[in-house]
Amino acid sequence: MKKVLLGLLVTIFSVCAAVAQSRTITGQVTSSSEPVGIPGVSINIKGTTTGTVTDIDGQYSISVPSTSTVLVFSFVGFERQEVTVGNRTTVDVLLSPDVQILSEIVVTAQNIERNEKSLGYTVQSVSGDVIAQRSEPNVLNTLQGRVAGVNIGSSSGTPGASTNINIRGITSFTGSNQPLIVVDGIIFSNNTDNTQNTLFGSQPGNRLNDIAPETIESINILKGPAASVLYGSRASAGAILITTKTGSGLNGKTELTVTSSFNVQDPINYASLQSEYGQGTTNNFVPTSTNSWGPRFGAPGFNTVVNTQGETVPYRPYPNHFDIFFRQGRVLQNGVSIASGTSDNNFILSVNATNQEGIIPETGFDRYNVQLGGNKKLQNGIDVGGSITYVKSKQRNGTAGNGGSAMGQITRIPRSYDFGGAPIENELGEPIYYNPPNTHPFWSTQNETFDSNVDRMFGNLTIGYDFADWLNVTYRVTADTYTDRRKQISRIGASRNPQGRLADDMVFRSELNGDLLIRMNKDAVFGVEGFNVNALLGQNINQRDFQNTRVVGEGLNIFGFDNISNASVFTNSFEERTRRRLIGHYAQLNLDYKNYLFLELSGRVDQSSTLPTDNNTYFYPSAALSFVPTDLFDLQSDVLSQIKIKANAARVGRDADPYLLTTLFSQASYGNNLAQINFPLSVGGANIPGFFPQARIGSQNLAPEFVTNYEVGTVISLFDFRVELDVLYFNTSSTNQIFDVAISPSSGYDNRTTNIGEMVNQGVEATLRALVVESSDFTWESELNFTRIRNEVVSIAPDVDNSTIPGNSFLGIAPSIAVGHPYGVIISTKFPRNEAGELLINPVTGTFAPGVPGEVVSNPQPDWIAGFSNTFTYRNFTLSTLLDARVGGQLYSFGQVDLRSGGHIDYTGVDRNMPRILPGVIDNGDGTYRPNNIQLPAQTYFGALGGLASEGAVFDATVYRLREVALNYNLPSTLLQNTPFGQASIGVSARNLLFFAPGFPADPEVNTQGAGNIQGMDLSGPPQVRNYGVNLRFTL
Amino acid sequence: MKKIVTYIVSGLLLTATACSDFLDINESPNDPSSVTPNVLLPAALAGSAFANNNELNRFGSTITSVTAGAANSPAAYDIYNIDGADFNNQWRFEIYNGALITYESLIGISEEIGSRSYMGIAKIMKAYTFSIATDFWGAIPYSEALQGEDNTTPTLDTQEQIYLGADGVQSLFDLVKEGMADLDAPSEINPGSDDLIYGGDLDEWKKAGNALLLKFANTISRVAPERATQEIQAVLTANNYIDSNSENMNFFFGSSVGSRAPVYEYTYVTAFRNDMMISTRFVNLLQEMNDPRLPIFVTSPAGRYVTIDNGFRGALPTPTSSWSRFSEYVTGDGEGPVRFITAAQVQFILAESALLLGTSGDPETYYQSGIRASMALAGLSSTEIDTYFAANQEFVSLDGTEEENLEKIMTQKYISLYGNGVEQWNDYRRTGYPILEDHQNAVGIDGTRPVRAQYVNQEIARNSNFELILPNVAVWWDVD
Repeated sequence: MKKVLLGLLVTIFSVCAAVAQSRTITGQVTSSSEPVGIPGVSINIKGTTTGTVTDIDGQYSISVPSTSTVLVFSFVGFERQEVTVGNRTTVDVLLSPDVQILSEIVVTAQNIERNEKSLGYTVQSVSGDVIAQRSEPNVLNTLQGRVAGVNIGSSSGTPGASTNINIRGITSFTGSNQPLIVVDGIIFSNNTDNTQNTLFGSQPGNRLNDIAPETIESINILKGPAASVLYGSRASAGAILITTKTGSGLNGKTELTVTSSFNVQDPINYASLQSEYGQGTTNNFVPTSTNSWGPRFGAPGFNTVVNTQGETVPYRPYPNHFDIFFRQGRVLQNGVSIASGTSDNNFILSVNATNQEGIIPETGFDRYNVQLGGNKKLQNGIDVGGSITYVKSKQRNGTAGNGGSAMGQITRIPRSYDFGGAPIENELGEPIYYNPPNTHPFWSTQNETFDSNVDRMFGNLTIGYDFADWLNVTYRVTADTYTDRRKQISRIGASRNPQGRLADDMVFRSELNGDLLIRMNKDAVFGVEGFNVNALLGQNINQRDFQNTRVVGEGLNIFGFDNISNASVFTNSFEERTRRRLIGHYAQLNLDYKNYLFLELSGRVDQSSTLPTDNNTYFYPSAALSFVPTDLFDLQSDVLSQIKIKANAARVGRDADPYLLTTLFSQASYGNNLAQINFPLSVGGANIPGFFPQARIGSQNLAPEFVTNYEVGTVISLFDFRVELDVLYFNTSSTNQIFDVAISPSSGYDNRTTNIGEMVNQGVEATLRALVVESSDFTWESELNFTRIRNEVVSIAPDVDNSTIPGNSFLGIAPSIAVGHPYGVIISTKFPRNEAGELLINPVTGTFAPGVPGEVVSNPQPDWIAGFSNTFTYRNFTLSTLLDARVGGQLYSFGQVDLRSGGHIDYTGVDRNMPRILPGVIDNGDGTYRPNNIQLPAQTYFGALGGLASEGAVFDATVYRLREVALNYNLPSTLLQNTPFGQASIGVSARNLLFFAPGFPADPEVNTQGAGNIQGMDLSGPPQVRNYGVNLRFTL
Repeated sequence: MKKIVTYIVSGLLLTATACSDFLDINESPNDPSSVTPNVLLPAALAGSAFANNNELNRFGSTITSVTAGAANSPAAYDIYNIDGADFNNQWRFEIYNGALITYESLIGISEEIGSRSYMGIAKIMKAYTFSIATDFWGAIPYSEALQGEDNTTPTLDTQEQIYLGADGVQSLFDLVKEGMADLDAPSEINPGSDDLIYGGDLDEWKKAGNALLLKFANTISRVAPERATQEIQAVLTANNYIDSNSENMNFFFGSSVGSRAPVYEYTYVTAFRNDMMISTRFVNLLQEMNDPRLPIFVTSPAGRYVTIDNGFRGALPTPTSSWSRFSEYVTGDGEGPVRFITAAQVQFILAESALLLGTSGDPETYYQSGIRASMALAGLSSTEIDTYFAANQEFVSLDGTEEENLEKIMTQKYISLYGNGVEQWNDYRRTGYPILEDHQNAVGIDGTRPVRAQYVNQEIARNSNFELILPNVAVWWDVD
């Protein structure tokens, strides 16, 4: 009503003014950076509310009363300009881009755009340019090395391999520590959905794989609870907001963009191998031995040997079998998008396809995305927007894991085994191998496969209305749902399932969110000029569904017939469903005092279905302060542009997983891979059902867990904002953790769910950005970021010093939480040492004294990580480089132990006949020690360095890396004049081109356990890759 | 404006108050929160069978020279090496978190619904399963065990308390007797095909209960001869115990994947199938005694017995398909069975008791019927058995000194327990028979055979009532 009145008044006033006296002024507004008109520039007559906007060519026309002499030209992204009209009737204006403002707008929680200056917490923005066209189908990997405070690790170089991401350390003992992913306001599942034992199975991808990097406009990373508090429990590990491209920035134009790239992937091999000694042990040939400790090649009597199949074969070295096994991978990405519109009315349609062939035979990843989105401001003032995306992706993978898998065997190939030439199967398909019941890796890749077929839809619908110029009400509905149809095949003869096994999984996830957002703002509150207030009230209703239905068929009959009807036993089939709901109410108040003091107060109340009814409502607050002393005290100079000081305190609650409150029964089963039974038991022609109590005791007293965070920092901008240093310190304390505490098994149970424990993260983040050179032809931008996080488990539960992290792990190699140690340390068997820390040697054997079990042997968390990126632009050429470093942290590697203790790796062949002495001391029995002088043969020595379940499997994971190099050439417009193209570019890029890992013979960025809380484990998994290729981009 | 605010606030309130039902969805659709006795019983029985038939059997068979280790854990057992890393899965998933907690749960649920027959079976089997644990580990949580949240760090009862009872500790004997009394009481529902041992025949369960009393009494006969005599004599007087092979307390697994006995899986199927074979010593023993059970017990795929000596560390015989292994007598076609207690075993117990404790009956009669029951179970006809007896009087008659006769009884019992390493090891520790030479390359703690299992690492880490006791310290009933 008020608005209508205002409008009427304005109209009346204008009419009056026109009657008085007026003249018409016309002109064009163009950009100072390129000679084109800028549409949509608003032109106001200073001191009035009268104005107009420029048309598509930047032309305008406005009636100006004779009393007015100044026009104000303003447009987002350009510096505001006031022009005195004088007597002119034509006023052409040149607007300069406002670089500072462009870079300062960031997207914060609930997709609210904010000026970075006002934020008391840290949001880092990454532009879509650095994500697209980078030979990398997984979005998360493209962020590696670019964002301070964020630790990203991809699990391997295989197609669709999952990538782990932790923002500011690990804050929950057992909950997900992956950040919340929000794509255009849609809470987006990034689950990994492991349906197999992670020690032995194939690794499924993380579902952020379903986003095509080409479609991304920008990514904003919300670090710390204060930044993400409005998202509630879900975002206690931070949030990543992905904004996809729209037509809103096109100023009414229609643009057709075609992108295409082709890349190849080279495997980074485990190691180089020795070629002096062949299969066997203690210098004897043994046809079934997994070792290369046999006779020297060319030794008398060893021209030929008899293999496992009884055939006489030559005894000689064969070429490095890694080179034969792995192939060159290929990634082909193509995309087309049509976009059009203005900020009020726009649409986009994009289609993208990614086709990848992996480095392991038979593996691949294909992804097809179709996205349709748009916004419209209706004539009645209602804003309607929405988007819908369909994704079809298919991952095809093989098996990994210790022993009976392709990757488990590839590190156990004796040097005299003709890997590339030996037969792998007979005419019936039955495996032939030197070491049955294991199989040749090629037999395994062909006959033990894992397919994941995802069909996914996600979308949003937003309706908003400005009830007044200070009040906007918006309702947003978002949905994300997918079905992953998986098939795991182990044909008859597979070493882990000699009688064959098929597993058909249907994984379904769906998430619905309804959000009501009421936004209010008022300037000059209490009549104080410059005291502006923004407020937000919101409500969120959330439902998440998960279902996994699995049909397992065992006891197959026909080789190669992979239909479930081929099976005779189905007892491992099951169904799992979960549903959880959450209702949240939140509020935020932003106070802005004269643009130098900002205070943001937020609060959220969540009510969760997963907690006990009388304990399921919990509140958490946040306060963030930003202060700009340079503005208050007018300290700006040529050197000092701005100082901002930020500080915040926040607390975020997190609910439990569903169904933890009661003690339940489950279908009975006993045993492990040595022998196993599963109910229903098929006995004497009848199927007998069996249930027993679960090992976990539920709790009716469960309460939410909390993360409390304090953060202080400063942002110093120098030299007209060309240099910016952002440094901060944070301290996060996680308390009241929902955890399954291990209890005495003789209680009849293994663990009970309860709230316990405390974990602390302290960290320093620093980012230094500089526009080193800026001239008309050449610019050089540089950014250095640094992160150091110290995580410590302060307490677990009374009398509990350590506890294994839930998930699959080997007995004796336990990823753990341990009091006084960082999260995720690995507890295994440690070599004993004396008080001086010297290794103790057994005086009889000359090997290390018997190991001490239950000791912390490995810490996967790095000491610090850093990234250094540079972008050079010379005319139409852009060269960007990214170096990153990950220093400290350790990797537990089965593969390297195999290669070492098996005598395959190169250094085990050097001076093999020379005796060796292990480093260490021998106890004299009187409190003194003498240096070890006991000589060992090479095989004993390298075996004694440690087996799979020992400290000897731990390697330093430090790595310095040339992560990325990309050269891009934008074709000059002169060349394009006679073509239909508006813009065209061609580029070459390479990722992981070089690395230096002083403590590990291969690339240490691997983790066979995939994305999740268990890190730093290389339990016979695939290696990393090096990518390089070309990309093209045309705009019509 | 006021109107708008009113709408919004009332809307928010509405959704906030209407959500009690909306959020009341936290009941698991995946796992039941209550179950019936007929699904608990088979799960629990299978747990006891698995405990007897899996890793503990491999250890017992190897340490008593029936089998020999070729690789991995059996090779370690073969040179007497065990520590706290061994048997964690057995202690946890098979015994306490498997069979025992399920019997406990079954007893509770059966009590609620008045199904005394289920209670009776559960108590008898609970006693049996606890006996496996205490015989292996000595003092264990017993009276305070299985209480879940009410006691997450139970204290240990001594083996003496467990077998003989004490203040607040019900003896295993009394637990079995209580179970047998339950079997006599009227019951609301009764087991049928879910009773994977006797198919719901409660009379058979009473015989099994009495046989179990004989086994327990036999176990403590050296340390508490009076109590043992009293218990055995009572059972003999009542005269209702397992007395023929048809009454044997057997658990049959199935023959398809996922239903098969662990001994079958380990011997023939899994990737670990070449970790163990039959010991040369066991084959020699049966050959020396001309025992017709040898070809029934031990396979000879190569037409001869391909075995290794215990503790042997040289090159293994090839191909592995020629190795002598547990035969169908032990593994079936996957079914097993697991023979918890057999008629032969009972006869040997009675022979030993008559010989040493003076319980009623003639030792030699019991002894010979024990051999006959075992041979019959192996599938020999009575004619074949008679022929063997006629030709081998030196082995089948108890004509020596008491010690010589005891050795004969225990040697025949050892042979008859083939495939049940748990009982073979118990008897060997208790009596020192049969005479077993030290294994080659023996290490252990002090070069001697382990006489107990070390408490599992997980339990020591989680319950401070446990303390480290090395495997060379004898358990209570092992007095000599």
